[in-house]
Amino acid sequence: MNFHTIDWIILVAYLSVTVFIGIRAKKYVENMEGYFVAGRRVRAALGTATLIATEIGIVTFMYMGELGYVTGFSCFFLGIVGLIAYLIIGKTGFVVSALRRLKVITIPEFYELRFGRGVRLLGGIILFLGGVLNMGIFLKFDGIFLTETIGLGEDLLVVVMIIMLLVVVSYTVLGGMFSVVITDFMQFVVLAIGMVVATVATLMHVGFTDIANTVVQQFGEAGVNPIVNERFGWPFILWMMVASVATSALWQPAASKSLSSESPEVGRKVFLYTGLTLAGRYMIPMFWGVAALAMFGNSVSPSLAMPRLLGTVVPSGFLGLMIAGMLAASMSTYSAYMLAWSSVATRDIIGPIRKQELSEKTSIFLTRIIATAIGIFLLVFGLLYEIPATAFQYIALTGAMYSAGAFGCVAAGLYWKKANKVGAFSSLILGAVAPILFLVLEKSKDALPQWSHFLIDVNISGVLSFVLAAGGMILGSLLTQTSHPPVAIATFEQEAA
Amino acid sequence: MTLGTTIWIVIFAVSALVFFGIAAIISVYGTKDLRNLLRESKKRE
Repeated sequence: MNFHTIDWIILVAYLSVTVFIGIRAKKYVENMEGYFVAGRRVRAALGTATLIATEIGIVTFMYMGELGYVTGFSCFFLGIVGLIAYLIIGKTGFVVSALRRLKVITIPEFYELRFGRGVRLLGGIILFLGGVLNMGIFLKFDGIFLTETIGLGEDLLVVVMIIMLLVVVSYTVLGGMFSVVITDFMQFVVLAIGMVVATVATLMHVGFTDIANTVVQQFGEAGVNPIVNERFGWPFILWMMVASVATSALWQPAASKSLSSESPEVGRKVFLYTGLTLAGRYMIPMFWGVAALAMFGNSVSPSLAMPRLLGTVVPSGFLGLMIAGMLAASMSTYSAYMLAWSSVATRDIIGPIRKQELSEKTSIFLTRIIATAIGIFLLVFGLLYEIPATAFQYIALTGAMYSAGAFGCVAAGLYWKKANKVGAFSSLILGAVAPILFLVLEKSKDALPQWSHFLIDVNISGVLSFVLAAGGMILGSLLTQTSHPPVAIATFEQEAA
Repeated sequence: MTLGTTIWIVIFAVSALVFFGIAAIISVYGTKDLRNLLRESKKRE
């Protein structure tokens, strides 16, 4: 057992305070906007902290650490690509400013404004499925991290998963976005301290020179050059360049933080400041993964190496603080994701199907029920499903299922006047095809003919999703301009003004 | 250390320092923002 009494005290105290504050935030939820987007009163520094806390959780540390362990320094390029994507959005306000100006709560609401209710329903279903599948591995990876760093052993994995789930569901379901914003901020602060402690402790045990020599010995050129690394190559790099912009602007849990901001200008700034931290928060856990390779060699399971390193090098007392920080990061990710996906299900799937508009009270009630159901799904899926490829690639591909079509619909819907309903339907459907084919066919790859093996290449599948979605939007719209004339929305006039 | 590993280590060090620096600034200003948010919400009650 790596944990001592002081570590347990810190961890339990922190969790208790978080749940207490999260539940207390319920009193600030005065209406639907209060529940879903914190009344749209979040300013830049707070918005940035909560967006960062949403985007990092144990699962992100786990898949970044795993990438560092299996690819060396070459995976660091992902931090640079992500940094550029966020800076583009932060400087130009691309997509996010226009969406904030339209005062939508979810991305599919924009589909209805621009393309009609049917597109909103389809977009909502794809977003919900992609989002929940994407989140499906979170709980298991978090459980592995905690059992490995604390030293509990694999037998207690299920117990750890259930406890985490109960804590997160309780305050997300009760408090909505106010709970998320308040607890995200606390978690951001604790997380940042935990990351400093873990990085310093790692460097005290494994020096830069040892790490660099290990990378050269284990991978050669592939350890520093992503183009020649067999897990990456050009298809993956191209996919990440497009996907980074698309998912940064349109991934509902992140977008909801921008939509909660005080004004479109603040929403843009939140992306700018968040982007400046992106390279660091990608590379730090990747570096821990590479350090784990230098410390343990390549005989450890890739998903276990990084947590084992932290459990070994971080001293008692600090370990409790670091685990609290990691758990904090995870809880904020869960709460934001659960709130995002349950609000999409309520507002964009159930809402459009019913003829009568849902009351605010019913919307919030349904959202709470669905958030709880998502929690139960996470537990079952996490225990039963074995992921193909690396965890990072699984996350990116399930994200592409939604974001490829969404990027086509929203970017074209905002900036291309000829975009119409047929283009939007085509973009959403074609954007989801390649990732779904990959997830289905990968399970029976031995039975597939050789010519079709490109469909089970995770990187080609990711690139295809964006190419098909863009093609669907352009061709679908251009071929049906007469039968389905595009519907203009106010944003064009506002942008011109 | 090769040139490639040295470049990535320098990029990592700069990125990590930027992250920790911005995190410190956001923690200070974010506390003020959070206080304002809760104060305004109380007023609306």
